[in-house]
Amino acid sequence: MTDAGFVIAAYGVILGGLGLYTVVLWRRLRAAQPSDEGR
Amino acid sequence: MTALRAEARVALAIARKDAVAELRGRHATVSTLFFAAIVLLLFGFALGPDAARLAAAAPGLLWLAVVFAGILAVNRLHLLETDDGALEQLAMYPVARRAIYAGKALGGFAVMLVLGLVVLGAVGVLFAVDIGSAWLPLLATVVLGALGIAAVGTFYAGVTVRLRAREVMLPLLMLPILTPLLLGAVKATSAALAGDPFGELAAWLQLLIAFDLIMLVAGAATYGFLLED
Amino acid sequence: MKTRILGFAALAAVVVATVVGLLVVPADLNQGDAQRIMYPHVASAWLAYLSFGVTALFGILWLWKRDLRYDAVALAGAEIGVMFTAFAIWGGMMWGRPVWGVFWQWEDPRLTTTALLLALYVGYLLLRRLTDDPERRATRAAIVGVVAAVDIPIVHFSVEWWRGLHQTATIASPERALDPAAPMVFVGTLLGMLGAFTVAWLYLMIRRYQLARAELAREEEARLGRLRAVQVAGLSSSSQETAR
Repeated sequence: MTDAGFVIAAYGVILGGLGLYTVVLWRRLRAAQPSDEGR
Repeated sequence: MTALRAEARVALAIARKDAVAELRGRHATVSTLFFAAIVLLLFGFALGPDAARLAAAAPGLLWLAVVFAGILAVNRLHLLETDDGALEQLAMYPVARRAIYAGKALGGFAVMLVLGLVVLGAVGVLFAVDIGSAWLPLLATVVLGALGIAAVGTFYAGVTVRLRAREVMLPLLMLPILTPLLLGAVKATSAALAGDPFGELAAWLQLLIAFDLIMLVAGAATYGFLLED
Repeated sequence: MKTRILGFAALAAVVVATVVGLLVVPADLNQGDAQRIMYPHVASAWLAYLSFGVTALFGILWLWKRDLRYDAVALAGAEIGVMFTAFAIWGGMMWGRPVWGVFWQWEDPRLTTTALLLALYVGYLLLRRLTDDPERRATRAAIVGVVAAVDIPIVHFSVEWWRGLHQTATIASPERALDPAAPMVFVGTLLGMLGAFTVAWLYLMIRRYQLARAELAREEEARLGRLRAVQVAGLSSSSQETAR
């Protein structure tokens, strides 16, 4: 793998991971909201 | 100072209680020793048969065996909390919590010390390592290592009281924390056996002392929170 | 909502920093393009350590004030910290292969300490998962978090010693590009990436905190629901507590 490959692998996983985590957080937040009657 | 003496008495009483239970047949020490021996044998098969390679690896293998067996020992020594409520009763006295920690750590230290010394001897025999003139620094290393493992082990045993999957969680939590101790003990052992050619032995022993002190203080300070219900 | 704006700002900042890091700033003379990895790698590492500092601090605050909101912050810090730690290690490995020739280097104290950091905080998260009672969980976690935080400098110090006494030649380390002699454009890019990541970190921390509180509320609801169900069924309410 050329240097560029490693660079892309690094940025890809890190930025992709950030994005993925953000999306997962959104979904879990949405799932946790609906039954708000008890508050 | 009478409060301190009262604490010391509580600590010793707990340590003695554990020792009696040991002698009466809880077999934590014996089974742990056998486990360590088996581990050493496996190391021999895995890394041998080249004697030179084994001798070079001996300090590392020694402490790996002690650490792994030590985790088993900690597990067994602390079954007491789940079995009877005596500890919780005692924990109602705030002053006693530090003493409980000290007592249990002391008991653990005794077991770990025996373990360490036996493994040291076994490693000398199995991996053809000459302990001879280095016995004093080696003894110091074993004492400090045993103390550190006992301090950390007692602490995490308290953390994992009544925890599900305790058998896995105890090593999982303990092992990363023990890394500096492992490093220091292996390096000190290595240096001692080689006759301390670079004069680094003192530094490694100091690391062990610092580690032990920090963990003992942290354990004593937080044990109370763990016993609260 | 303010958080949403923060989120967009984070996204914009990260995109800009990435473009600069990948395309705008020149490659390093010695390390070549691989040096570009350093920007997100170092930024991730700093945020990993920041996150765990937050976890330790808020654990102490829980032990002191007994407010579960502090514990929620600690949890957010640990989870996000584990993520950034994994990123830092991954970045370190991707950097290491082209520059060192190997993915892993035992003599690099940062890499090995960070790996240990990962182990410590994965343990923290597992411990939390295995404890059902919120207050017990918070207490156990706080204590483990503090001890882990105390252990980290000891580990770093001993690994550096370990390496130093080995007396090998200087190994290139990612942080070397940060020394004062480095061209301003590299330092500037790094700071930019760090700033962008920090904004993203803040946004994620807020969201994760909100999630933690929402889930705590649900937990409480579920607990009360079970209690009421049992009472309604007319059973004795004395033996409620299940495994804690």
